[in-house]
Amino acid sequence: MCSAKALLEVASVGKRFGGLAALTEVSLSVQQGEIYGLIGPHCAGKTTLVNCMTGLYSVSDGQIRLSGESIQGLKPHAIVQRGFARTFQNIRLFANMTALENVMVGCHPRSRVGVLGAVLRTASERREEREIREAAHFWLTRVGLNAKARSLAGHLPYGAQRRLEIARALATEPHLLALDEPVAGMNPSERRDMADLFLRLRHDHQLTLLLIEHDVKLVMGLCDRVAVLDYGRKIAEGSPASVQKDAAVIKAYLGGHAA
Amino acid sequence: MIAALRERPRLSLALLAVLLAVLPFVTGVLIGQSGVRMLDFALLYVLLALGLNLVVGYAGLLDLGYIAFYALGAYFYAWLASPHFGLHLPFWMILPMGTLFAAAFGVLLGAPTLRLRGDYLAIVTLGFGEIIRIFMNNLDAPVNLTNGPQGMDLIDPIQIAGIGFSGTQEVFGLVVQATHLYYYLFLAFTLAAILFAYRLQDSRIGRAWAAIREDEVAAAATGINTRNLKLLAFAMGATFGGLAGGLFAAFQGFISPESFNLMESILILCMIVLGGMGHIPGVIVGAVLLTILPEALRYIGDLQRAMLGEVVVDAANLRMLIFGLALVLMMLYRPAGLWPSRQRRRELTAEGEVVRHEQESLVDVQR
Repeated sequence: MCSAKALLEVASVGKRFGGLAALTEVSLSVQQGEIYGLIGPHCAGKTTLVNCMTGLYSVSDGQIRLSGESIQGLKPHAIVQRGFARTFQNIRLFANMTALENVMVGCHPRSRVGVLGAVLRTASERREEREIREAAHFWLTRVGLNAKARSLAGHLPYGAQRRLEIARALATEPHLLALDEPVAGMNPSERRDMADLFLRLRHDHQLTLLLIEHDVKLVMGLCDRVAVLDYGRKIAEGSPASVQKDAAVIKAYLGGHAA
Repeated sequence: MIAALRERPRLSLALLAVLLAVLPFVTGVLIGQSGVRMLDFALLYVLLALGLNLVVGYAGLLDLGYIAFYALGAYFYAWLASPHFGLHLPFWMILPMGTLFAAAFGVLLGAPTLRLRGDYLAIVTLGFGEIIRIFMNNLDAPVNLTNGPQGMDLIDPIQIAGIGFSGTQEVFGLVVQATHLYYYLFLAFTLAAILFAYRLQDSRIGRAWAAIREDEVAAAATGINTRNLKLLAFAMGATFGGLAGGLFAAFQGFISPESFNLMESILILCMIVLGGMGHIPGVIVGAVLLTILPEALRYIGDLQRAMLGEVVVDAANLRMLIFGLALVLMMLYRPAGLWPSRQRRRELTAEGEVVRHEQESLVDVQR
C-alpha cells in the first residue's frame, strides 16, 4: 500500500455550520485502487465529509486534493469532471426520466455537442448521441439493469434505484466513486450482490471506492482500510481488523462501557 | 379517424400542410381580414410560447418577465427600421442581430437570478419584465430612444425580393393581402422554431435541462454545469422572444410600451400551462386557443344584441369571466394541461403521487 499513490487527500478539514462543528481536523488519504471505508455512528459527519469533498459544501478549514490537485472551492460539476463521482444516501434519481435517460445524463460531462450541433443535427452530434446511448446501455448492463432501461426511474424497486444511481455515477467515468450508504435498506442477499458488484467494478475499471456505511459487517469484509468518524472527528484508521479492536471505536459504538 | 391518421403519418403531415397553406384564404373568406390578422397573431404567440416553454417547461425556471424579450426584439427592430433614427436596414440583417440582442439580455437578466428558485425566481423575473417596460416608457429623455409612451410608429414592413409586406401586393400574378404574406412568413419561422425546440429537447442539452428541473443538486453531482445551462435556457428563450418581437414590430408598424405589460407575460405562461408544459404540441394548442378564444368571445356582445335586444353583460367582462372559469376547471380536471407530455402527466397524476409517497416513506424508514 505504501507504494501506491494517494488519489484523494483530506488534510485537517473542518466544517462549521454556525456554532456547530460538524467536522473537526479530519485527515485521511485514499490510495489508488483501494476500497476505503468511512464508518461511524449516526450523525458522525460522514455525509458532511462527502458533501465537502464533492463540492456541495465549502469547507471551513483544511485542504482537499484529488490526484495532488486542490479541488477545494470547485463547483460539484467541476469535481465530477476531474473524475470524482458520488451517489446519495437518500437516492436522488431523476424520477420522471427513464433508467436509460438517467444514465445518459451521466454521460453529460464526457460529451461536448453544443446548441448549434444539436439543432443542426450534425454528423458529430449524431455520432456522439449514439455513443452516449451505447455507453448508457453498457453501464446499465454492468449494474444488471439493462432489461429495465425503459422503466421510469421512480417506478423501479428500491434496490434497483440504488444500482441505477451507481450506473449514473459510473457514466461520468470517474476514477474515484463515493458511495453514500449504498446497501442501506437491503436484505443480506442483496448486500452480497452489491459487495460483488463493487469488487467487480474495482477490478474491471481500475475504480477506487470510498464507501460510507452503517453496516459494519459489510465494511469489514470489503474494505482495505477503514476510517472511523465520531462527532466530526476521526477516532481511528487502519485495517478493518485493527479498527475493530480499537478501544475508542468500541466506545463510540457501544457508548462508553468499554474498558 | 384520428387513429387512421396516426397510422399514416406521412398522409396526415401532407393534410396538415395543405390545411396550413389554405387556412388564411379560407379564414379571409369566412371572417375577413381581421380573421387573418388573428391567425398572424396566433403564430406570433406560438413562437413566444415555444420560447417560454424552453425556460419554464424544460429547465423548470419560472419566468414571469418573459415579455421583456419580446419588447427588446420589437424595439430593436424599430430602432433600425424606422424614421426614428433614419435607419432602414433590411429585415434579414435586423432579425438575427435582434435575437442576439435579446439573448444577451436573457443572460444579463438570468445571471442575478441563478441562486433563486420557484417563487423567488418568479418575483425577480417579474420585476425585470416591469423594469424593461418602464425603461421603454421613460427613455424619451435625455436622449429620445423610445419615444416614451407615444411609442414608435412608421416602422418599415418586411420586404422580401422587392415585395413589401403592406397593403395589397401582386405575387406571381396573384393579388395578395399583406396579412397573408405575413402569415406565410410567420408560419415559416414557427415551423423552424418547432424543429429547433424538438431537436434541443432530444439532445444532451435537453436532457441536462430536464435533469436540472428534476433535481438540481443531483444534476450538479452528475457533472452538469447548472449555472451555464440555466443561462443557456434563459438565452434560448430570449432568442425566441426577440425574434417574435422583431416580427411583431414589422407586422404592426407601431409599438408602444403598453403592448408589453405584465398581463402579456402571464398570458403566455397561461398558454403553456393550459396546453401542457414541456410538450411542444400542447404548447402550440395552448397558444392558438388563448389567442383565438378571446377574439371569438368578442362576438358574444353581438350575439346578446341579436337575441336580447341589448348588451346585458359587457363582452370584455364576460371574456375575463369565462377565461378565469376555464382556468379553474382546467386546474381541477386537467392539471397537466390539455395535451400534456406523458412525463408531465405522470408527474401530476395520482399514480405518481402514490409512488413518490412510497419512496419518501421508504427513505424515512432508512433514516
